[in-house]
Amino acid sequence: MAKRVMIADDSEFMRNLLREILEDDFEIVGEAENGVEAVDLYEQEEPDIAMMDIVMPIRDGIEATNEITNTYDDAKVIMCTSVGQEEKMKQAIKAGASGYITKPFQKPNVLNEINDVIPA
Amino acid sequence: MKVDIRELGQFNHLASQGAERAAESLSQLAGVQMDVDVTDVSLVTENVLAETFTDRSFVGVELGLEGGLEGETVLAFERERAMKLQDLLMGVTDNGDSEERLAKSSVTELGNIMIGGFIDGWANHLDTAINMTPPRYTEANGPRILPDQAIEAAKKHGVFLFESKLTGMDVDLDFSLYMLPEYRQFVQLLSGNDQGNQIPVNRLSTFEELAKEGAGNAADQIGMMTGLDTTVDVSRLRFVPLGGVPKQVGNDQFVGVVFELTGLPSGYLVVLFGEDSATTIANAMMPGGGAEEEIGEMTEGAIKELGNIMTSGFIDGWANVLQTSIEHSPPNFVHDMGESIMSPVVGKLGQQQDYAFVIDSTIEIDGNTGQCDIYALPNERELARALSALPARD
Repeated sequence: MAKRVMIADDSEFMRNLLREILEDDFEIVGEAENGVEAVDLYEQEEPDIAMMDIVMPIRDGIEATNEITNTYDDAKVIMCTSVGQEEKMKQAIKAGASGYITKPFQKPNVLNEINDVIPA
Repeated sequence: MKVDIRELGQFNHLASQGAERAAESLSQLAGVQMDVDVTDVSLVTENVLAETFTDRSFVGVELGLEGGLEGETVLAFERERAMKLQDLLMGVTDNGDSEERLAKSSVTELGNIMIGGFIDGWANHLDTAINMTPPRYTEANGPRILPDQAIEAAKKHGVFLFESKLTGMDVDLDFSLYMLPEYRQFVQLLSGNDQGNQIPVNRLSTFEELAKEGAGNAADQIGMMTGLDTTVDVSRLRFVPLGGVPKQVGNDQFVGVVFELTGLPSGYLVVLFGEDSATTIANAMMPGGGAEEEIGEMTEGAIKELGNIMTSGFIDGWANVLQTSIEHSPPNFVHDMGESIMSPVVGKLGQQQDYAFVIDSTIEIDGNTGQCDIYALPNERELARALSALPARD
């Protein structure tokens, strides 16, 4: 059975791009445009993995990740973001992120990162 | 407040790396090969912002910075370039339709990624986190594409403008990336601790105004000697890596004169005309004196003479304000590609410095039929010393 993935990114373009990259190998359970929607979607779907942008309106991806991983011990969140700052990476890890990929990404990078986090 | 030139160089270097990453991101996302020509930084006034952006229509991606560096930043594409980018990016996804919302989203995300490339380098250098607000798509004509905060700062005391020129290698897609960090905080970051290499920040704007006056004088002198209408189109004091200067001048053929400056500051001044402009000017300077259609002795003599007069007008103003004496060598006539003319000049200055303050002025001659570019490259340390020695005039 295909692993279930959710996508959280405020950019419709980037959500579409990620969906195209993932939909052949994974079941996309939903998309969120901000950190609040991302937490709601996670609670609703409890996907195997959440692809999470950092810079999002209302609540950013690090806060959303923190809330998800505090509630769900086995949550797997991969930050996929344009931010490549070392401090931000540390913050993401502290919030419970399992992986980190920087935009722009290509299909092999995304699949490799997911495979590292949840081996097939 | 003072600016440490080495810190300014460091931030310029980081911005340059950011531009490289931005170009790589664009290449990956849109499938086009981009090259970064040069990244420079200038302290610009409201007038210079107006000169830089006026008469052009832009699409911008604007976002705020918080934390280690505050301010608003914008990535501005000329509208025509943005439309081309949208087409390229929309080809990446499978949507087929050119739905406006998605097209805007594609450019917004591209801007977000490209600006992220800049900010990451600065954050890592400062060993801190810089938070970015979500990107916002904007459209405007002229300087209104810039954040209000930047325009207000430019009115009050000037604003630092980082500009990187990106060129499409396999597609006609040249555009500039503009970054405007918040003025006061950025000046603090630039303060450094090298007392010998600091310039009071307000003197930079003084010097920029001076350069503008110099360009105005030079334009007047062309007008007087040729009877042609002249106007200063753009005049900016840029801080650039020396190695980027020849590339900035480009590969077109130029006719001009190179002067070595001695005194405080020493350096070089280069006056360049396009080939057509040079013959037009030479013919206008000697009506009835045997017009030349190509660059010959008459044109050489005319350009040397004009260059002499322009250069004197340009540097006399510096010497008066800096309260120093500056002399210039006899004119060295040049007729070559821009890069070939500038490379030896840069090579000589490069023995003492990695970066240069370049005064880059463009004079429009007879409407837009001709153009004259003036590049002044003073010795960086000597300029800093001369500016620092000026009496305070806050």
